[in-house]
Amino acid sequence: MELQRVLKEAVGINDEFHFFNLIDTRAKAQGKGRLSEVVISVKDCICVKGLESTAGSAILKGYKPVFDATAVGKVRSEGALIIGKTSQDEFGFGSFNVNVGIGFQVPLNPYDRERACGGSSGGAAGFTAKAPFRHIALAESTGGSIVCPASFCGVIGLCPTYGRVSRYGLMDYANSLDKIGVMAKTMEDIALAMKIISGCDPKDPTSLDAPVPDYAALLKKPITGMKLGIISYGLGKGVDPEVSTAVKNTIKRLEDSGCTLVEIELPLVEKYALPCYYILAMAEASTNLAKYCGMRYGAQENIEGNFNEYFSKVRGNYLGEEAKRRIMLGTFARMAGFRDAYYLKAAKVRAKIIEEYKKAFEKADVLVSPAMPFVAPKFSEIKRLTPMQNYLADILTVGPNLAGLPHISVPVGKNKGGMPIGMMVIGNHLEEGNVMQLASCVVEK
Amino acid sequence: MTFTNPIVIGLEVHIELDTNTKLFCPCPRTGSEDPNSRTCPVCLGHPGSKPVLNEKAVSSSIKLALAVRSSIAPRLIFSRKSYFYPDMAKNYQISQYELPLAKEGSLALESGKKIGITRIHMEEDPASLVHPAGMKESAYVLVDYNRSGNPLVELVTKPELTSPGEARDFMKQLITILEYLEIFDINNCIVKADANISIEESGYARVEVKNITGFKEIERALNYEVARQQQEFKEKKKITPETRAWDSERGTTSSLRAKETEEEYGYIIDPDLVPVTLSPGFIAGIKRRMPELAHEKLAKFQEKHGLSEEMAKIISKDRPLAEMFEAVSAAVNPELAAKWIRRELPRVLNFAKKKLEETGIQERHLVDLLKLVEQKKITDKTAQKLLELLVENSFEIKDYVEKENLEVMEDSGALETACREAIKEAQKAAGEFRKGNEKSLHFIVGIVMKKTKGKADPKDVHTLLKRLLSGG
Repeated sequence: MELQRVLKEAVGINDEFHFFNLIDTRAKAQGKGRLSEVVISVKDCICVKGLESTAGSAILKGYKPVFDATAVGKVRSEGALIIGKTSQDEFGFGSFNVNVGIGFQVPLNPYDRERACGGSSGGAAGFTAKAPFRHIALAESTGGSIVCPASFCGVIGLCPTYGRVSRYGLMDYANSLDKIGVMAKTMEDIALAMKIISGCDPKDPTSLDAPVPDYAALLKKPITGMKLGIISYGLGKGVDPEVSTAVKNTIKRLEDSGCTLVEIELPLVEKYALPCYYILAMAEASTNLAKYCGMRYGAQENIEGNFNEYFSKVRGNYLGEEAKRRIMLGTFARMAGFRDAYYLKAAKVRAKIIEEYKKAFEKADVLVSPAMPFVAPKFSEIKRLTPMQNYLADILTVGPNLAGLPHISVPVGKNKGGMPIGMMVIGNHLEEGNVMQLASCVVEK
Repeated sequence: MTFTNPIVIGLEVHIELDTNTKLFCPCPRTGSEDPNSRTCPVCLGHPGSKPVLNEKAVSSSIKLALAVRSSIAPRLIFSRKSYFYPDMAKNYQISQYELPLAKEGSLALESGKKIGITRIHMEEDPASLVHPAGMKESAYVLVDYNRSGNPLVELVTKPELTSPGEARDFMKQLITILEYLEIFDINNCIVKADANISIEESGYARVEVKNITGFKEIERALNYEVARQQQEFKEKKKITPETRAWDSERGTTSSLRAKETEEEYGYIIDPDLVPVTLSPGFIAGIKRRMPELAHEKLAKFQEKHGLSEEMAKIISKDRPLAEMFEAVSAAVNPELAAKWIRRELPRVLNFAKKKLEETGIQERHLVDLLKLVEQKKITDKTAQKLLELLVENSFEIKDYVEKENLEVMEDSGALETACREAIKEAQKAAGEFRKGNEKSLHFIVGIVMKKTKGKADPKDVHTLLKRLLSGG
């Protein structure tokens, strides 16, 4: 790997597609390990020591973390070249990577520059598709932010079990939902990266103390006898027929390879996952974003008036529209008089939804559906969506995210217009291995 | 709630726990006073940092909950209390809300009256605000995050205190418990209270006085507040619910804001901290490691050791003294032990301005010393001198007494010689005594004690002198 060539190519691609918020032109790989010669991009919300990290928000302009996120530290110590920070919706607030912070550029879909990359990890997915060298992206998902852009950009994106990868150094969107995961072009790179970044971390009490299997070995395991649960509503009304057909064809091929099929009904997930997800995510987000007030780091204003006036001025000037909307909705959901009806009820519904998934996994080893109900939309189409229609795009992805289940999107062909389609495979808690095993089979076919 | 007492007081006490590190990060709790020197990404609220719970703070808080006989929650859950303020690193405070660490306990005042405790919960301390030109005059404020994240336990009482004096006594009893439990160090931990106080005349309008430090201040602040409210009532002013600040220097309270509605904190469960199960086994383990408390010792000292209530109270209040008493009274007469531990030991410690722990005085020193006193081998005077020396240097009592030849003079010949010499030296006093002035004998006794270097038993000297002067 020639460093200067890599950087030059990345800059060239970025000029055209805006995948990066920052490319580290002084990047250097240190030491040797399992990721020597591998270029790693890092979603902007994951801290890289000394490299401006903004989570895509103008309010964090100029903020250089004083520490590496645990996941970043792990890839760094394996000799990876950390090339820069990839574009995202501001703080992860979006499904198309169009809700970028004030002054940030929207990344363009690698297959059609009039279309979105998907979000919120849009830059990660787009660059994974375009990089002419071996590249793995560290991405992050709260409600579908890995599988959505992976699906729209035709790459593989895996979001692990909640707690599988330490969140230390991840700028919080919704702490009970945030997961760091990976994107790549090959299952081998997904398996390798997951092996490296997974594991318990004393700096993150929510990280899980469970052994990390040798995922690479599992990729070669035959899938004969594996029970596939087909999520019925995932192929029903409201899903683009071309997307449905591509996923159905893949399922048929998997059946031919020895999988058994079982239809799975998830009535609670179908009906309540979306509102439950948005209430919890926004309630948590509204507390997480409180710290950004122009006092200790990031954007500043002239100091005038009392602290309330100053905080309001900074937050008013540097937070984007969607961030403000989610802060207000989230604050409302946790206010006295409303928190019982919204925040606390959503927490109870979440427990019910997890139960429903657990029952499904008594019948099936993995669950499948499309990742997104449609292919990457045009920017002109997105502009016409109401906030509610925007949130509905996540109908298939919020379920596994809410339940903390590992899930992956693998490309299963393209529509007539040449836009990629992704199939989502969901596994039981800590069963990333199953998910990768099946995904690997899909990729080979 | 209907009140009947002329004064009703409830306290919210914040106690800083004596831990090495902060509640959610490894920064030292005390140490360098350079502003913002004891900080890290967690206590500065940097994006991406995550809190990790300090286990010692948990066991310390549980000890307090057990000591006031409250019932402990099955799980430890933290909440985010959201409000914007410059001393808050994250603009939310990690505290506890729905499920506090413990509920429903009680603490007895010195009178025996029990004050109910509503809840006990853990939370992090905010940073400190520095007003360089005074609270009201400063054009700007500096923020020091050294304190940010220090571990606090908050204890909330029922409104069952009926005078500022009771509030003071409550704080005293509480501090005794905290010191017994060794979860609080009065020299480097802060204890602060917010007091809710209302008087009958106002129809019990609740006034909250914030930020009162220490138990003497509680009484001062509340006395002021009672007088102020009564004065307002006399002047036919309406007393409305409000929050007031205590100004310790001026000795007055001043209004901060009216209490129209409950503050809105938008609590959510803190999703960064996993719930910790507090199993009965875990709680029992902490209970086993807890010391016997002051009130338990008080009862025992009276019943088992036969001490008077007053004596037992004084000794039981101070854990090192109480434990010293227990050890020493196992070897010598408890009353003798109590007398020396209550009077002589504090006297020499006060004089040397030292705490018992700071000296080398061990149980065996006192046992050896008091055994010699008990057996009349040394005089009280010699024993006092030895104790004074012990505060400065540690040495073996028996060896020292032998080496320095400090035992009571049993050689009656030598004592008689000393007495005769003294009478000769004090002819005038001797004459007075013979004329019937009993008091002049003390002067001669003094001379004898000096000659014998305090080794003679003053009673023996007295008797001998009397015999020599009247007979001889």
